[in-house]
Amino acid sequence: MARVYNWQIGREMSYWYPESRPRRQFAAVFDTNKCIACQTCTLACKTTWTSGKGQEYMLWNNVETKPYGSYPLAYDVKLLELLGGQEWEGARYAGRTIFESAPAGERVLGWRPNESDYAYPNTGEDDCAGQIDRGAAMALPHMSWFFYLARICNHCTYPACLAACPRGSIYKRPEDGIVLVDQGRCRGYQECVRGCPYKKVFYNPMTGTSEKCIACYPKIEQGIQPQCFVNCIGKIRLAGWISTPDKARPDNPIDYLVHIRKIALPLFPQFGLEPNVYYIPPVHVPDSFNRQLFGPRARQAVEAYRNAKNDPDLAGLLCLFGSTEMLVARFRREGETVVGSDEKGAPLVRVPLKEPVFVRPAFDPRTQLVRINCP
Amino acid sequence: MRASREFVLAALAGLTLASCSRAPQRTAEVVAETVRSVPLDPSDKAWAQAPEHLARLVPQDLVEPRLMKPTTPEVLVRALADGANIAFRLEWADEQPDNRPGAGRMVDACAIQIPLRREKDLPEPQMGGEGKPVQVTYWRADWQASVDGRGDAIRDLYPNAAVDHYPFEAKPLESDPAAREEMAKRYAPARALGNIRSGPRKAPVEPLIAAGPGTLTPAPWQGEDAKGLYAKGRWQVVIRRKIPADLRPGERTAVAFAVWQGSMNEAGARKMRTGWIGLLWRASQ
Repeated sequence: MARVYNWQIGREMSYWYPESRPRRQFAAVFDTNKCIACQTCTLACKTTWTSGKGQEYMLWNNVETKPYGSYPLAYDVKLLELLGGQEWEGARYAGRTIFESAPAGERVLGWRPNESDYAYPNTGEDDCAGQIDRGAAMALPHMSWFFYLARICNHCTYPACLAACPRGSIYKRPEDGIVLVDQGRCRGYQECVRGCPYKKVFYNPMTGTSEKCIACYPKIEQGIQPQCFVNCIGKIRLAGWISTPDKARPDNPIDYLVHIRKIALPLFPQFGLEPNVYYIPPVHVPDSFNRQLFGPRARQAVEAYRNAKNDPDLAGLLCLFGSTEMLVARFRREGETVVGSDEKGAPLVRVPLKEPVFVRPAFDPRTQLVRINCP
Repeated sequence: MRASREFVLAALAGLTLASCSRAPQRTAEVVAETVRSVPLDPSDKAWAQAPEHLARLVPQDLVEPRLMKPTTPEVLVRALADGANIAFRLEWADEQPDNRPGAGRMVDACAIQIPLRREKDLPEPQMGGEGKPVQVTYWRADWQASVDGRGDAIRDLYPNAAVDHYPFEAKPLESDPAAREEMAKRYAPARALGNIRSGPRKAPVEPLIAAGPGTLTPAPWQGEDAKGLYAKGRWQVVIRRKIPADLRPGERTAVAFAVWQGSMNEAGARKMRTGWIGLLWRASQ
């Protein structure tokens, strides 16, 4: 085991390989408050990448309803239980990561789902955290809650799948940090499936190899966001590049949301993988739950997000989500407009902070007809 | 009648059986008797004349991920050789045959390992080492099922699977098998890359070479073959490969064995194995 620095837990930790950060790191921010679980992302991924034999059960992208939803079944709570109760000391994680709590003979603390664990891809859908008493649904605020958590591979800085593979069949691309399974080298031992805490590597019984989300790297190489991003009708996603905190740029959208405003947080940072998909936590969920999923900064993130209406830079950047197919590397606000640019500063998209309102009268005097809204 | 015929055969092969007992001779090393042609079928009568070596298995507990608890305790090994090939018959107890791969499902397997070169200093018994490679011939129960006729469709693994549609089975492609295959490969990257583990196969066995743990690499196919049968709680597997190029009749090399039990979640490094065992190719008398 080597010693590496994980900024998400504010300390050094043990990892199977020495620290080797890519030249730049693919990253994403998902706004959980905007997700409606339409699963368009899931289908966009499915039709693009996993329509083959042996891939029938695979969902490289899935959307689960929290608190009860999970795919595969109980992927998160099983590992939390194995890990046991752990503590944060402020922003520093005082507990043990899955690398530091690996049992004798193992590279990481993990478990492998049974095939039946994949049989309920949308279990818990729309289930509330508690009972709804008679009439309670009509009262505000609602005392019960749920929210949608969209998930892809986190293309972690310290991938557990990569650490767990005894053959070195998994690699992290130096040019963009995307984590891939070498399909020519994989021998299907499923150690990666066991190791990944997010269970985002899947064994293909027809090819005998394990497969995972590839962050649509052929699109990334063209400067285009992945399929699950550009097909998101809720516009909850933004793909880009993340810096380490010491090199954060205020004009980099991901850096701004993660490092500067700190409203986007990693999923289960306590596992120690430094995952690179960041979530804006749901504003209506108890802090204790958000804290377990997103770490100790969840409350401040929710407060900053709630205040976005008074924060034109932040509000403007949130308007860039889902506004262009291209990867937005830079942004700036120009008055009431936010501009997304590529890395050289060439504008890609301009979005108003407030969409103009058009009123269409019910009666059209030109045609002397009354318009109706129903289709 | 049968016992006396066995006796004649055994005598012809140069064995020194003390009696006409059907219990095979136990040897301290693996002795490959010379026969005219090595059989592939584990139930072939020719195996009766081969002495038996009982190889004790130990857990692979040197490199992570390790096997922490012993499972299969031993494997019975017999060997026969002809002018070109050597075959090993491995037999071990396994409560259930595991030949269906799947998420979280491992399959039964076994392998033989021989040093690439006969040298005084043997390679590390566990997958060899740098500059001291080993040859591995690996058999798997799911490949055996495939060779025995199991189809290449998800319903062959999961009979009740519901499949809506595969893009490569779309109507417009029906008359163009090449285009259809090309599209199917897009959704099977391991097959597109020619990963020999990942397609329908003709032999349930794979030749490999390794120079240390984690370095296992497919080797050129040289007519390796195998046949595995499961009956009465035991696997019987014959693995046939070319005789090591630098081994002559009457000479010794070394051999090691490994067994994986799918139901015990064994795969890759999680296996039961032996150390090096002497392998004598006994010349025909």
